[in-house]
Amino acid sequence: MARELAFVSFRVNGRPQDIHVRPDEMLIDVLRDRLGLTGTKLACDVATCGACTVMIDGAPSASCATFAWQADGAEVKTVEGLAGPDGAPDPVQRAFAENSALQCGFCTPGMIMLARALLDRDPNPDRETVRNWMGANICRCTGYEMILEAVEKAAALQRGAAQ
Amino acid sequence: MTEIAPRLNVVGADFARKDALPKTTGSAIYTVDVSFPGMLHAKVLRSPHAHARVVRIDASCAATMPGVHAVLTRDDLGGVNPTYGYFIKDQPIVAIDKVRYIGDAVAAVAAETECQAVAALEKIVVEYEVLPTVATVAEAMADGAPELFEQEPMGIVPAYGQGASAARRLGRNNCYRFTYETGWSSPSGGAFEGCDRIFEDRFVFSRDQHFHLEPFVTVARLDGDVIEVWTSSQNPFPLRKELARVFRHPENLIRVQVPYIGAGYGAKNNCKTEPIAILLAQKARRPVRFCMTMEENFLTQCQHAAIIDVKTGVMADGALVARQGHIWLDSGAYSDASPLVAEKAGYRLPGPYKWQRLHVDCDCILTNTTPAGPYRGFGGTQASWASESQIDIIARGLSIDPLEMRLKNLKDLGEAYVPGESGMDSDLREGLNVVAEVIGYGGRKRAAGRGMGLSVGFKDAGGVNKPAQARIKITTNGDVYLHCGSVEIGQGIHTALSQIVAELLNTRLERVGYPALNTDYTPFDQGTNASSAIVVMGQAVKLATLQARDRVLEFAAAQLECGTDEIELDDWTIRKGNEAHPLAPMIMRYYGGTGYEFTGEGVVKAPMDHAAPLETQCVSWEFGWGAAEVDVDTETGLVRLRQLVVSGDAGRAINPLVCRGQDEGSAVMGLTGALFPCMVYDGAVLLNGDGMNYRVPLATDLPARFVSVLQEQGHGPGPYGSKSLGEGCLLPVASAIANAIEDAIGVRIRELPLTPERVLAAIDRAAID
Repeated sequence: MARELAFVSFRVNGRPQDIHVRPDEMLIDVLRDRLGLTGTKLACDVATCGACTVMIDGAPSASCATFAWQADGAEVKTVEGLAGPDGAPDPVQRAFAENSALQCGFCTPGMIMLARALLDRDPNPDRETVRNWMGANICRCTGYEMILEAVEKAAALQRGAAQ
Repeated sequence: MTEIAPRLNVVGADFARKDALPKTTGSAIYTVDVSFPGMLHAKVLRSPHAHARVVRIDASCAATMPGVHAVLTRDDLGGVNPTYGYFIKDQPIVAIDKVRYIGDAVAAVAAETECQAVAALEKIVVEYEVLPTVATVAEAMADGAPELFEQEPMGIVPAYGQGASAARRLGRNNCYRFTYETGWSSPSGGAFEGCDRIFEDRFVFSRDQHFHLEPFVTVARLDGDVIEVWTSSQNPFPLRKELARVFRHPENLIRVQVPYIGAGYGAKNNCKTEPIAILLAQKARRPVRFCMTMEENFLTQCQHAAIIDVKTGVMADGALVARQGHIWLDSGAYSDASPLVAEKAGYRLPGPYKWQRLHVDCDCILTNTTPAGPYRGFGGTQASWASESQIDIIARGLSIDPLEMRLKNLKDLGEAYVPGESGMDSDLREGLNVVAEVIGYGGRKRAAGRGMGLSVGFKDAGGVNKPAQARIKITTNGDVYLHCGSVEIGQGIHTALSQIVAELLNTRLERVGYPALNTDYTPFDQGTNASSAIVVMGQAVKLATLQARDRVLEFAAAQLECGTDEIELDDWTIRKGNEAHPLAPMIMRYYGGTGYEFTGEGVVKAPMDHAAPLETQCVSWEFGWGAAEVDVDTETGLVRLRQLVVSGDAGRAINPLVCRGQDEGSAVMGLTGALFPCMVYDGAVLLNGDGMNYRVPLATDLPARFVSVLQEQGHGPGPYGSKSLGEGCLLPVASAIANAIEDAIGVRIRELPLTPERVLAAIDRAAID
């Protein structure tokens, strides 16, 4: 295996990061182990469960299946970067908290990033749109209904804030 | 101690969970996030054979690999008791004489990175003498079958009370049998004499894997003489006891810390990653993190597959009389919690009905597959599947509506489950009528291939003979610490118990803090399992809070020179008539400027009772009423779930939203065993044990109408009438769907999961008959 390092320059939660990575180093390991952003969780490690979901240039992405070098030049956003500049939680975070749309919480950061990406694309999704979109990630605790309701509530909060 | 007339400002309200902020912002710390300078990473070499003698292990090359600091094989077990388990200590930390399933731990390495550890594992040479395997219960019990244990491992059979008993090694690979009977020996002509009809059925139950997203993970380090672990464990105190035995180390020099847990559903009881992490940390003299992969989770713990024979005698009018059952649990390669699961499966098989005579045997059979252990429902899932399927079969056989059949036979509120047991703490008929009504059972329209089914899931909850302790501390400023050992595994227990404390102290929820669990400081608890926290720990928390509150009131009354009955506590102000006396200045005036902390202790334990079959009466009975409506495509065999309605009884919901999440989550977990492939074995080889190939329900798999109804019947033993909740709604799902399938197309499926192949086969069989 080639051992030369790749130089990666990207922004994580708005902050520039310039680091050398191994060619086989995954984005989630860089985020967790090198940048200390442990909110993103590793579970299935095969891009199926979605616990590791982050946004790369606005697209929800499995950070467990993304090489760090693939994020070169990109804007990466994790759950730690969602709050507003004044520290106010994102409407998705607020809705998940207020609706108790979480239990063990291990899938929650990925669910929240997935929902954020949906509302960025469609600020007023109907239930089936929410269900199909959120069907990408696994939650073993909640039975999903309260998560779907939280996403709809987040959309409402967001629309309320925009008015 | 008497309660103040409850205001119930806090209890019963949908407060956001105490863990909502850390869990939605990414700041919540789980064991996977714990890290220390110099921390090493452990990886385990696992057996490629289902059953083999370990002839030789040579790990010398691994020790010289880059980054490697410690290697662990059977040669390094000299100073420890090398096996662990619940009742039977049969599971080795790493393989000693044999490996017993594909994935059995053979050796371990601690290196500076996980990659280095994996590379070093590849250098370990193991010579195996492959042995014949037994992959199923039938194979394991067959005459001449190879035995997983030629000698009887060390272990115990616990004492039981009226009607219950247990034994070990009754047959080939049989590690434990639990038996319960009542009224069985009295009738002269046999237990079924006088019955108009006898129904005999065999049911088969597949095995799900817990699929907890946080893997089994431990960080171990040595702090002087103290063995310190951070671990994802739902029973840290029994774990400490087991580690003390394994490592021959004083319990007060073992420190178990439990951060947030990324779920367990039963899997995270007892030793998993801890012994290997500790041994490697001792050898390397560095902190060691052992974090499994999801594939390794599948090779570490799963649910019990089961074969269940049920013979039931009834009267022509539908009255249930006698039931005989025999359950064979597939325990996998080690006994693990199988004896406990057997006890529960066997005890619960009758279901909450008015029986006259019962006899149930439940055997635990060892096979060369992943060790089975606790799984949400704890044997009740297997029992409810068989029992509630057969209730429908009997009703249809007698041309009685299945709803009427159940209403006729269900136990009454307060009626003892069996002689010596406590009484039902829910109105079962009321509960069943709720789901029947919500799904529209009464006025349902008939359509081709469409049907409805009902089920009553049932288990005894609260644990057996379970003690719990809690401590309350209130600072000078009125800020509250709740110290207790109930771990936050997702169920919301930190929130619920904090709401109880806030209510009793007449203060705000945000005033109550819940320090992370540390066995050095946290009062003893037997474990967060069996839906016990609200009904057992909840009572201890209540007692502790009331004691602390009484001490505060006595202090204030002395300062104000009045009686305690003249004053009231109102968010750390004492109200005396129209006067308001803030407590903080009062405390500092008396105790000095730095003030004081008021404390309270609470202890509960169900009394020992030899008349009770399990030697303590059941604390709380947990029910899950379920109703399903399906469309069955008789061409493809596909079962489409149109409606799923579930309902649990919280007694009194401390936080209704959190209760709802428990009911819905457990129901969807129940869908896995009902309609999804579960663990698929080819012989002893697991085919789908990873995140890519194992299917659990997704949001898109839910039925068009999925409703949970939270009942609050008010009869629970916990604070404010609360009851056990969180497992019940898993229990009725599979049988309700199988019952709906028969309602839809007239064929009965007795084997889970309810796959299209099985539906088609059942249709074919019915056509032949």
